[in-house]
Amino acid sequence: MDDLQFRRRIYADPNTRDEDMLDAIKSDPSKQSFAQELEDLDSKLFRALNVEVPSDLSDKLILRQTLASHQQQKRKSRIHLSIAASVAFAMGLTFNFMQFSSAYSTLGDYAIAHVAHEEDYFSNTSTENVSLASLNDKMATFNGSFTSRVGKLLFADFCRFDGMKSLHLVYQGETNTVTVFVVPNNEDLEFSANFTGNKLIGKSQHFTHSNIIVVGDKNEPLQKWQNAIDKSVNWSI
Amino acid sequence: MSAQVSYNMATKQVRYEALVKALHSDLFRYAYWLCHDKHVAEDLVQETFLRAWRALDSLKDEKAAKSWLITILRRENARRFERKRFEMSEYEEAAITDTQSTSNEQEVENYWLREKIAQMPAEYREPLVLQIIGGFSGEEIAKQLDLNKNTVMTRLFRARNQLKEALENTTKVRGQYNG
Repeated sequence: MDDLQFRRRIYADPNTRDEDMLDAIKSDPSKQSFAQELEDLDSKLFRALNVEVPSDLSDKLILRQTLASHQQQKRKSRIHLSIAASVAFAMGLTFNFMQFSSAYSTLGDYAIAHVAHEEDYFSNTSTENVSLASLNDKMATFNGSFTSRVGKLLFADFCRFDGMKSLHLVYQGETNTVTVFVVPNNEDLEFSANFTGNKLIGKSQHFTHSNIIVVGDKNEPLQKWQNAIDKSVNWSI
Repeated sequence: MSAQVSYNMATKQVRYEALVKALHSDLFRYAYWLCHDKHVAEDLVQETFLRAWRALDSLKDEKAAKSWLITILRRENARRFERKRFEMSEYEEAAITDTQSTSNEQEVENYWLREKIAQMPAEYREPLVLQIIGGFSGEEIAKQLDLNKNTVMTRLFRARNQLKEALENTTKVRGQYNG
């Protein structure tokens, strides 16, 4: 290795100690002292370059990061909270929607489903007989009354008609019970004057505040029932 | 899941603090020799570590941590110039004045050397700092500075050559004063 190359390499990196360099240093005392000089220079440079580091720097770095990530955390938890709130809100809406919206779109559909559902509870041969006074007591809720009995009333009570408080009357019919609903007007269910199910048929009549729905089996002369009710019912203001 | 998250957060925190403790001195010194200002250097190191924290998951190899941090710091330093648009090529002596006592022979020499190092062109100083403070090899410095290795070795050669000569001249002058 010539002197120039040796110098270039030792200048570039005084710590370089590969085979070539070691041989060169060993074999030549002047190179050895030069290498020593450069090592001395480097230790001086090392001291000079090692400027004093502020003693609290590492604490500051950790503190600053802690603050920054705390901020981030706070932002994140705000986001989480708002997501949770949105989800809760959406669930509330859905629940409300499912609870109070009808699966049936017309009065008739609902009435038939309602009667079919409660079919087993009522028997046409039941001996129950509800008095006119007791019926009118309940009718008062709907600002209405019956002036006379339209048939043998087996059952009269309030029930929920698609979420609305309504009056459920069961009369003795020709072959099977006849159900009469007194239902407040409702915009959600479409009014249907006549409707037919599998076994049941029905008729609705619209009054100022309420609808009266008659449902019976296909043998029942519903028109007659409707006329009788129409004649008997009396709405107060 | 949240336990996992906080576990990860805790691990990340431990990693971060270990990085800070192990490398903040080297980073600060490197920053100092980039900008010759202790306060700017401190800001640079703070910015660097904050960015490092955010990107800590992308650091897969702990051995590469130092060069990773130095890359971030160099970028931060470049950003500083974009932001402020001021020239730092002119070295101001006032900025580097060491207020330490100069009674000590060692301190005098350090002071002289620091001046000389600060006066050196940045392209010579930077590889030298990376080599001596950072302990990087020629290849690593070349990669860091986006230069080829020969260029880096030439610059290191010139840097030491200049400093050695400066030191010898100084010694001669001081020797004359003393004699």
